Amino acid sequence: MLSAIVFLPLLGALVAGFFGRLIGARMAEIVTTSLLGVAAVLSWMAFIRIGLNGGEPETIQVATWISSGLFEAGWTLRIDTLTVVMLVVVNTVSSLVHLYSIGYMAEDPHRPRFFAYLSLFTFAMLMLVTSDNFLQLFFGWEGVGLASYLLIGFWYQKPSANAAAIKAFVVNRVGDFGFALGIVGIFAVYGTISFDEVFAATPAMVGRTFEFAGTQFDVVTTLTFLLFIGAMGKSAQFGLHTWLPDAMEGPTPVSALIHAATMVTAGVFLVCRCSPMFEYAPDTLAFVTIIGAITAFFAATVGMFQNDIKRVIAYSTCSQLGYMFFAAGVSAYQAAMFHLFTHAFFKALLFLGAGSVIHAMHHEQDMRKMGGLYKLIPFTYAMMTIGTIALIGFGIPEIGGFAGFYSKDAILETAYAAGGVGSFGFVAGIVAALMTSFYSWRLAFMTFHGAPKWKHDAAHAHDDHAHVDAAHDEHHHHELHPHESPLTMTIPLAILALGAVAAGFVFYPYFIGDGNLETFWRGSIFVLHGEHVLHARHEVPEWVIWAPLTVTVLGFLIAAYYFLWYPKKAAALAAREGLLYNFLKNKWYIDELYNLIFVRPALWIGRKLWKLGDGWLIDGFGPDGVAARVKDLAGRAGRLQTGFIYHYAFAMLIGVAALLTWLMFGGAPK
Amino acid sequence: MLIAIAFYLFAAITIAAAVMVVASRNPVHSVLFLILAFFSAAGLFMLAGAEFLALILIVVYVGAVAVLFLFVVMMLDIDIAELRQGVLDYVPLGALIGIIMLIEISMALGVWAFAPEAGGAVASPWPDAVSKITNTEAIGHVLYSQFIYVFQASGLVLLVAMIGAIVLTLRDRPGVRRQSVAAQVGRRREDGVELKDVKPGQGL
Amino acid sequence: MDTLHADLLLTAPELLMAVGGMVVLMFGVFAAQKRPGIVNALAIVLFAATAFLIWRQPAGVLATAFAEAFVVNDFTRFAKLLVLLGAALSILISTRFFEREKIARFEFAPLMIFATLGMLMMISAGGLISLYVGLELQSLALYVLAAFNRDSVKATEAGLKYFVLGALSSCLLLYGSSLIYGFAGTVQFDGIQVVVDGGRNLGVLIGIVFILAGLAFKVSAVPFHMWTPDVYEGAPTPVTAFFAGAPKVAAIALLLRVLFDALPHAAADWRQIVTFISIASMALGAFAAIGQTNIKRLMAYSSIGNIGYALVGVAAGTEQGISSVLIFMAIYVVMTAGVFVCILAMRRVDGPTEKIEDLSGLMGSRPLLALCWIILLFSYVGLPPLPGFFGKYYVFGAAVEQGMWPLAVIGILTSVVAAYYYVRIVMLIINGAPPEKPFEPTMGGELRVVLGGTMLFSAAMIIVPGILVGWAGIAAAALIK
Repeated sequence: MLSAIVFLPLLGALVAGFFGRLIGARMAEIVTTSLLGVAAVLSWMAFIRIGLNGGEPETIQVATWISSGLFEAGWTLRIDTLTVVMLVVVNTVSSLVHLYSIGYMAEDPHRPRFFAYLSLFTFAMLMLVTSDNFLQLFFGWEGVGLASYLLIGFWYQKPSANAAAIKAFVVNRVGDFGFALGIVGIFAVYGTISFDEVFAATPAMVGRTFEFAGTQFDVVTTLTFLLFIGAMGKSAQFGLHTWLPDAMEGPTPVSALIHAATMVTAGVFLVCRCSPMFEYAPDTLAFVTIIGAITAFFAATVGMFQNDIKRVIAYSTCSQLGYMFFAAGVSAYQAAMFHLFTHAFFKALLFLGAGSVIHAMHHEQDMRKMGGLYKLIPFTYAMMTIGTIALIGFGIPEIGGFAGFYSKDAILETAYAAGGVGSFGFVAGIVAALMTSFYSWRLAFMTFHGAPKWKHDAAHAHDDHAHVDAAHDEHHHHELHPHESPLTMTIPLAILALGAVAAGFVFYPYFIGDGNLETFWRGSIFVLHGEHVLHARHEVPEWVIWAPLTVTVLGFLIAAYYFLWYPKKAAALAAREGLLYNFLKNKWYIDELYNLIFVRPALWIGRKLWKLGDGWLIDGFGPDGVAARVKDLAGRAGRLQTGFIYHYAFAMLIGVAALLTWLMFGGAPK
Repeated sequence: MLIAIAFYLFAAITIAAAVMVVASRNPVHSVLFLILAFFSAAGLFMLAGAEFLALILIVVYVGAVAVLFLFVVMMLDIDIAELRQGVLDYVPLGALIGIIMLIEISMALGVWAFAPEAGGAVASPWPDAVSKITNTEAIGHVLYSQFIYVFQASGLVLLVAMIGAIVLTLRDRPGVRRQSVAAQVGRRREDGVELKDVKPGQGL
Repeated sequence: MDTLHADLLLTAPELLMAVGGMVVLMFGVFAAQKRPGIVNALAIVLFAATAFLIWRQPAGVLATAFAEAFVVNDFTRFAKLLVLLGAALSILISTRFFEREKIARFEFAPLMIFATLGMLMMISAGGLISLYVGLELQSLALYVLAAFNRDSVKATEAGLKYFVLGALSSCLLLYGSSLIYGFAGTVQFDGIQVVVDGGRNLGVLIGIVFILAGLAFKVSAVPFHMWTPDVYEGAPTPVTAFFAGAPKVAAIALLLRVLFDALPHAAADWRQIVTFISIASMALGAFAAIGQTNIKRLMAYSSIGNIGYALVGVAAGTEQGISSVLIFMAIYVVMTAGVFVCILAMRRVDGPTEKIEDLSGLMGSRPLLALCWIILLFSYVGLPPLPGFFGKYYVFGAAVEQGMWPLAVIGILTSVVAAYYYVRIVMLIINGAPPEKPFEPTMGGELRVVLGGTMLFSAAMIIVPGILVGWAGIAAAALIK
């Protein structure tokens, strides 16, 4: 049964991928979606059995994968609490996204390919979360990277989509390089890559060092640092985050599944999975906290002034991932996983809601061209509002609130209680929460409230996307009529909304309640100081507990002031293009900075190497020069063949004479 | 002594004739010199006591092969002047190679010696006075026993030569009438003769 | 009488071939004058029966017949089976071609049979006389086959050139044989071995040079290769296919027999000669092929180059070297058969074509055929994991093992040069503009069978190369005593 959870999506991918044309697009949709649905139901059953009811963790041996000398890597499914949490997240969101895509992608001619990719992604993600050793983890890691690349570039006719896909792939390579180095290092140090053996051996490794370039490095710190580099790439943490906003070029369901709920959280999962190692590397943990806090703050600042509806949510994702990381950095892995869990619901909800809006607007993504939609698409409006409230973590302490409230407040309080770098995380988190509230409401107000701004330039909007999909064009030249989405799209929204509302208070006791390490996680997460870390949040001062709610409401008021009550002022402020505004709108100029530091010098070096090194030096004297000589020789060799028989005979006799002479006088050995 | 004189005479004539085969301007002369070379070689065989080979050489090579050559050369109307054109260009190089090879082979001759084992390896029967076996008989003995394999193989070579000649030259010309003995013998009176009773005063 | 009985039993395959050849000839003359296809089929059956007899000969022993004029061991068995394979494939692909060219004659099959018989005798030769007779039997049949299309000026010219130069090479061989006989006093290989063992004998060495020159002519190694391009181009394509395959195997096998059975102790001397010939062949094969526009001419230079590679293994002079040569030749024979099938498939409605540029854009019109072309050409290049790579890998490996790495380096460099013209054809096939007059859309069933077999062989070489390598190893062990 547990194997079925992993392999049903693969089956769907194979069927849709290889027989998509044979069975038709409709059949491919039904097959993949229903297989995913079954997998999702099975995941929930596994979650209840192993997670909630305390069933035994299982390992299922699928096959011996690589066995070469000392190096052994089995293909084993490891199903413990950490895994079942991820299984539930992945399969639930994935099956809903499959269902949603049937409606969203209805006009696309390449649906079998799309669904095959989606299922393939799901399979790779499941491989990642069920892995029992680092190699299998890496396989899943690269598998989701590949699927992400394919899906970002799904509309391959669009140059921007191709560029975004390549950017995502390349930036991830940087992280993956660190990750791969970490795995190699683990094998070199431990002689094994199996999780159990590595984790068991870690306490003995503390304090061991190795020498590199004349400097001593702590083994565990270095290895965990390398692994975290990988996590940074995949989870778009500050520095390696640039690919995530661009990845929004992919279809919106893809953004919901891969770039919000599942793949980007793989880094968080990695850190939690490797908690037995990270716990023994306090320096790395501090680094994780700082990076997470910076990301949470940075992404929130940028998100405030974006105009593309999907980019706002993308930066929001980035920011939320920062929360998860700094939670993990202060050893509150349970809180990180809990936030991952709740975040999956409301972020998928927001993305799919945004997709519904985009669908209604016929692929218009600029919020400045929306407005006043709440009357036309009331259901989407309701769902988006639920998602927004969940995201900002609205809730009243001691009473209750939406999903985000439980997880985010737990993170902030734990960070404060941890002190040290945790305090930095707390401050950054509180500020980020203010901004989160602001940009979330700004999105809601710009999209659904105010005066409709889409009527007069609807035709223009169509031209922009005319090349994306010819099928869309047909009814695009006419007047725009925003309309509610079909049932296949609204049902997933409803289910996710349920999760966004209820996931917090239902699962709160299990994930981060008292005694969670013994009763719920049961060894899948390791905390050096036990429950104390998470428990400390109950002893923080009262103002810390109320601070998140305060800033959230403040953020709402600011957003309402500028975008609901006095929208002209916001426009005027934007038109002034102040220094800070431009700085934030241009994402801290990080893309430009990278361009200047890495891309352009790399291109310059590449061009020089190509023109001078390869073209002039190597080609000139190597292949080209040799080729020219070869041609000369070939001409001469060809001319030897005169066609006259006595020339031929002469050649033979000369040959004999030469051989004879060579043998007799050519220094033959005695 | 007399034998020695005869040997050198025959040897000198053989070499001179061989040179003339190549050097002669007229191809017919060349063939005639070839015949001379054959004859003197037969003389050498005779001196060595191989009378059977000597006579075979004359019968087969002079009697058949050389005469055939002569026919061919006379029928082909070769323009010798044209053939010789440009030969002089190659003389220096040809001479150089010839001289080099000559020197090298002479060096080999300088160390001529039968290897001691070689004596024993020579296993061919040699007619001697005691057994009174003639050359012809001796050849027959080894030809049909020890060398039966290569003898038969040589027969195959000749068969292939025959097939080759037929393949390359025999043509079925349409319209050529051939004698068919069987048809002639099998022909009956009824096939060729028909009696017609012609009434007087009437034509056929 | 018992000896004769044993001798006849040992030569049973050759006897069957000889008698069968005559029977086939008589059958052709009296019963199938107008139906050469039947005669060809009979010849293939005869080849199969002969191969079966050879297969059933006792393994792992050395046996001689007819006063050591005829030798059978695992090496000769391997080489003979390879020769029979090459010859049978050539007959198989010839029937339809000759019929369509209107030059089909029943004498073709008997000539092929006798030529193949000559090769079998060459391989089994135990002395210089049986060597010479076998060689002449083979050569004479090949001369006729080259000129088989007697109404074509090119073919007759090819046959004449081959004949005259072949006669010259026979003269060299005979001269060398007589020198060896003069100095060693014997024509048997083992007797010569005894003499050479006794010390370096200049007369014998000169004889060896002449014999090597004669054999080098048969394998078309530089500088005795001059006939090859003209004959390959002039002869009918199936005959060219035959020339490129079986006779090369036979001559290389004979060369190995002479070198290792008669002259193992003169290895230091002949190794120099073989090395020289090998380098010259590899270089010329690579460079001269570049300017060619006729595919058959190109294949001629390609075969010269390939023989150069095979000679690298010979020059190594070890058991490993011999087995590498056998592996190389086995792969070469099969690949060559495949390529010539592809060449035979170059046929338009108005007749066959031999121009390389007519392959342009084949990928578009005949993708499957184009794929076969590409696989075969890349195999010739020696691209792993295709069979051609294994062939080169083993011969170069054998040379390096003996410290002859300069030879291996030269081999690799010439392979790179040779890759140029192979890959150029591949580019033409893939990227070229489609021709105005396309090839006929289908090819004969027997061509497909042979091409399919070639591809199957390639796959087998990739999956289980050990089988061929194992056999070649056994065969090579039989030659080293």
